[in-house]
Amino acid sequence: MPKSFFIDTSRCTACRGCQLACKEWNELPPNKTKQTGSHQNPPDLNPNNYKLVRFSEHLENDTVQWYFFPDQCRHCLEPPCKDTIEGYVPGAATQDPETGAVLYTEKTKEVPFEEVRSSCPYDIPRKAADGRLVKCTMCNERVSRGLLPACVKACPTGTMNFGDRDKMLELAKKRLAEVKKTHPKAMLADADSVNVIYLVLDDPKKYHKTVVAQRSDGLSRKQFLAQIFAPIRRPVEGIGQSKS
Amino acid sequence: MTNHWIDIKNADAILIMGSNAAEHHPISFKWVLDAKSRGAVVMHVDPKFSRTSARADFHVPLRSGTDIAFLGGMINYIIEKDKYFKDYVLNYTNASFLVDKGFDFKDGLFSGYDPKTRKYDSTKWAYELDDNKVPKKDPTLKNPRCVFQLMKSHYSRYTLQKVSDITGVSEENLKKVYDNYAATGAADKAGTVLYALGWTQHTVGVQNIRTAAIIQLLLGNVGVAGGGINALRGEPNVQGSTDHALLYHLVPGYMSVPIADWQTLEDYHKANTPASNDSQSANWWQNKPKYFNSLLKAWYGDNATKENGFGYEMLPKIEKGQDYSYLFLFDRMYRGEIKGGFIFGLNPMNSVPNSNKLRKAMDNLDWLVSVDVHNSETSDNWHRPGVDPKKVKTEVFLLPSAHRLEKDGTVTNSGRWHLWHYEAVPPPGEARTFGYMVVELMNRIRQRYKDKPGAFPDPIVKLDWPAKFDAEEMAKKINGYFTQDKKIGDTEYKKGQLVPSFAALQDDGSTSSLNWLYTGSVSEKEGIKAKKRDATQTPMQAAIGLYPNWAWCWPVNRRILYNRASVDLQGKPYNPAKAVIEWDGSKWVGDVPDGGWPPLATGKGKSPFIMTVHGYGQVFGPGRMEGPFPEHYEPVETPVTGHPFSKQLHNPCFKSVTSDMDILAKPADPKYPIVLTTYSVTEHWCGGGETRNVPNLLEAEPQLYVEMSPQLAQEKGIKNGDGVIIESARGKVEAIAMVTVRMRPFKIQGKLVHEIGMPFCFGWTTPGCGDSTNRLTAFVCDPNTTIPEFKACLVNVRKADKLTEIS
Amino acid sequence: MLLNRRDFLKAAGGGVACVSLSRMGFDLGPVKAYAADLKMDGAKEVISVCPFCSVSCHIIAHVKDGKLVNTEGDPDYPINQGALCAKGAAMLSMTRNPHRAMKPMYRAPHSDKWEEKSWDWALNRIADLVKESRDKNFVEKNDKGQRVNRLEKVFALGTSHMSNEECSLTHQAMRALGVVHMDHQARI
Repeated sequence: MPKSFFIDTSRCTACRGCQLACKEWNELPPNKTKQTGSHQNPPDLNPNNYKLVRFSEHLENDTVQWYFFPDQCRHCLEPPCKDTIEGYVPGAATQDPETGAVLYTEKTKEVPFEEVRSSCPYDIPRKAADGRLVKCTMCNERVSRGLLPACVKACPTGTMNFGDRDKMLELAKKRLAEVKKTHPKAMLADADSVNVIYLVLDDPKKYHKTVVAQRSDGLSRKQFLAQIFAPIRRPVEGIGQSKS
Repeated sequence: MTNHWIDIKNADAILIMGSNAAEHHPISFKWVLDAKSRGAVVMHVDPKFSRTSARADFHVPLRSGTDIAFLGGMINYIIEKDKYFKDYVLNYTNASFLVDKGFDFKDGLFSGYDPKTRKYDSTKWAYELDDNKVPKKDPTLKNPRCVFQLMKSHYSRYTLQKVSDITGVSEENLKKVYDNYAATGAADKAGTVLYALGWTQHTVGVQNIRTAAIIQLLLGNVGVAGGGINALRGEPNVQGSTDHALLYHLVPGYMSVPIADWQTLEDYHKANTPASNDSQSANWWQNKPKYFNSLLKAWYGDNATKENGFGYEMLPKIEKGQDYSYLFLFDRMYRGEIKGGFIFGLNPMNSVPNSNKLRKAMDNLDWLVSVDVHNSETSDNWHRPGVDPKKVKTEVFLLPSAHRLEKDGTVTNSGRWHLWHYEAVPPPGEARTFGYMVVELMNRIRQRYKDKPGAFPDPIVKLDWPAKFDAEEMAKKINGYFTQDKKIGDTEYKKGQLVPSFAALQDDGSTSSLNWLYTGSVSEKEGIKAKKRDATQTPMQAAIGLYPNWAWCWPVNRRILYNRASVDLQGKPYNPAKAVIEWDGSKWVGDVPDGGWPPLATGKGKSPFIMTVHGYGQVFGPGRMEGPFPEHYEPVETPVTGHPFSKQLHNPCFKSVTSDMDILAKPADPKYPIVLTTYSVTEHWCGGGETRNVPNLLEAEPQLYVEMSPQLAQEKGIKNGDGVIIESARGKVEAIAMVTVRMRPFKIQGKLVHEIGMPFCFGWTTPGCGDSTNRLTAFVCDPNTTIPEFKACLVNVRKADKLTEIS
Repeated sequence: MLLNRRDFLKAAGGGVACVSLSRMGFDLGPVKAYAADLKMDGAKEVISVCPFCSVSCHIIAHVKDGKLVNTEGDPDYPINQGALCAKGAAMLSMTRNPHRAMKPMYRAPHSDKWEEKSWDWALNRIADLVKESRDKNFVEKNDKGQRVNRLEKVFALGTSHMSNEECSLTHQAMRALGVVHMDHQARI
């Protein structure tokens, strides 16, 4: 049984404990950032930030909505990035069968970054200065030793949850039913295909463009995956099959 | 806090006002959201829509500095709609007290005001006393001179329409908050008020909180689980540092500093020990001589004797009414009247108003010792931008201090929990603890006075002072010892034994304690209780998350203050599902009660508000500088020339100083039409000296910004991310515009008023991040606390042609 | 299983214990293929308190070979239950920060630079300055002839960063000197 995150954005206060805890646990170097008119900083995921709280604000019917989205790798059940990477260098990406964590190795240095990045329906992978491809690791070394991922451990509000996939799905569905009473547009983002299940209260586009898997051209995850895998040199094994 | 962090979960309604809890006390939201998921309504009333508002049920924007109008309207609403908790109001508050004929209120001023001194004669606000000098009461609450009727009449002026007109809050929004909050007037409902610097940092700061206290008393919300008046204190050990009185006007344990008129210990006690003839009043402060004498005994050890007033005569004595706080200190420094001083772990060049004046004032010092973990705008003031160091005469020391993880000791959290922290690693390089420095320095000064007498050496050489700093030894000394064998009741205590509780402190020199509130924090049996990590609790305690065995809290491990107000006269909890204490027929169970007396109905009980002379919650509060009932006054810098409640525009007693650098904008000044409020950010702490130097935090909040509404931005031709200049009568500041729908213009008296907001954590020692926002703010203060009005001043804003402070 | 607090140090009277991995968490089952060493393996755990807002979240500091290797929230402390905000979560880089002031520094009058000094030199010099300022400016009596024992020309500001024990000593020292200009963060 893989592990899953359940990220309940209805409880997020954007305290950024998760963003900092991730950075500190992984001892990632700081970025030189600037204030550009938003609290969201750094402005995007980058090789030094595997986790980023995104901020988006809206004024509708005279009511302010300020949405927070702690973005990170979704650890897809069938990770397209892994298939892309392995299409170039077998063994450069792996998926821990126990936890479901999608992990990149040193060998990703040899993989064309842009192809991997564009194969990710959530625009997660980034390239480090030394050429490695990097992203959230699910704190797999912690998880495999029975500890919570650093971001989940730090979360004060119950936004970040982690555990066996079935339990997380159950919790997600329960929370969805509760929040739907006041937020009829609430939904779980791609719950069936990812191990990082987000609950959002509103149209996911109001949070961030890749909350659910699709690109700006409006392709669904399925269409998207069909398209991105077409040119891959090596036959793709994982598509449509269950690995669990 | 009267209550504590976990207790927030017990609330049915949470009013967050004067606080942005989710951003500045992020972990509090664990408990706010816990309450919310149990059905509590969470309301945020604040000028800015913040991360707190995002998780509240609703946000209500109000103009900075109009909280008393907003809350006064709620008092009116509660009384008019008959929402108050009658039993509680009658039994536990001073609502039934009759007020003497001298009290009056006319057009914004109470009786007794002297415009020359800008002070009140508060003897005009006395109660009508019976022959036994106990206040007369009218249990029907109908007498026109009773507090209840006076209050009703006072706040009847705070109509929805008038309140809306001055606060900028729509009547609909007012009613929404009033209705939801007033619903906690039911016996089994609790509402909590979470406030912070958004209330204290006004020229009416104390009265903001008083207004909330009146509401809490009317609704029966003090003493109960999920209730209380909860100051979310802002700094790491600011509760403890206040308890131990790093303040000019107090000595440890909330006792007054001696004034010149109290020349002897007897004078001091006569002036400071309240008396009550009401057999139902515990009048706890009648014990003050025991606490004060024990403090002197701890300070001067064997040199403190009954004969020499325990060393009282060696103490410094301030002039009556003289103020020695920041405002006056820096003004005197500006005038060249101060020679030198110590600044421990504080960055006033960034975090105190009117930075331009303060920075100049510091140049007048002969010497300065700055003790900190990093260089700061304070330690490095002598080479600030635009100043030639060669012209600055000050001899400056920067002493490197230890971080929290590098030292042993205790802190006290906002819920008064006394918590031990252990040294994990030694301080880096040659950094040392504050304790090391203070002890070492004082020993060197003591030696100098022993070797070569100078001015009055006695208070220095006669001190009971350690050779080395040892946190455990100090924790015990704070708790206190018996200085001689002593029998109290049936128990014999030996010299050198720890005092078990402040009830055992004595005024005869047989006990010592550096702070009576902490007596009981260390025991012979349990050691330092701040180290206790025992989560066990009875089912009754667990129902409200009391954790009485985890660490210890002052006073006497009472987790919820005034908890005897949570039960009826028979000792039965008003809300049995969330009982704090209960009388089981022979004793109280649950929390530690406010004194062990039986319930009031037995005739042997005491009124629950034991720290007040008469034992009652003070709806009428005659101890404040500007009147016994809070009244709306505008901030000193205000965008209006009048308000609907009286002709008195400002707090008639606010404190200020005059100098060529203390310039104020006039009311509705056309040069400065915009209201500025200032605040912290989640990722930085206070003046930012510490967190700006943590690159991972600077990454998340890198540069000074100003939050403004799209309407204002459009008016000024400013786009999101533009560099802008904000200017007040005192200075100008560069910032990056954050144009946001979270800021909204207010409609005040029919006119549009803009408000902007800025953090104050950025300073020039961090290159390119901007510099002190407090160059804009006015140094005008609350008359009770001398806390500055950081939360409202007047500015203007324009697009910058170029930026020099931000890059 | 939804992960919650771990059961650790419950019986400990002190805040220091050795990491016992079998007790550190939840038995998710070993994942041998990817189980890497953790930086706090074999580290000593020390309980501290976050130095920022007054929630006073508890933090566990992992110390290995005398060095701080990791910090995270204390899951047993009933208030934060392991959680930390951005500032609290940054405790590792905050403490290990190379930008920290590490030596007593001195800036002479009219000088344009800092100089390193020894503690002994700095404390002796400050003690001299205090005594000199006090001896010259001590106010024994006020205009009315009342004994007042004031040192008005020397001030002390700060700090809520002090522990209670440090605050208590600082207050005692300053009153002994006669300092009346005394204030700290509680008023701002």
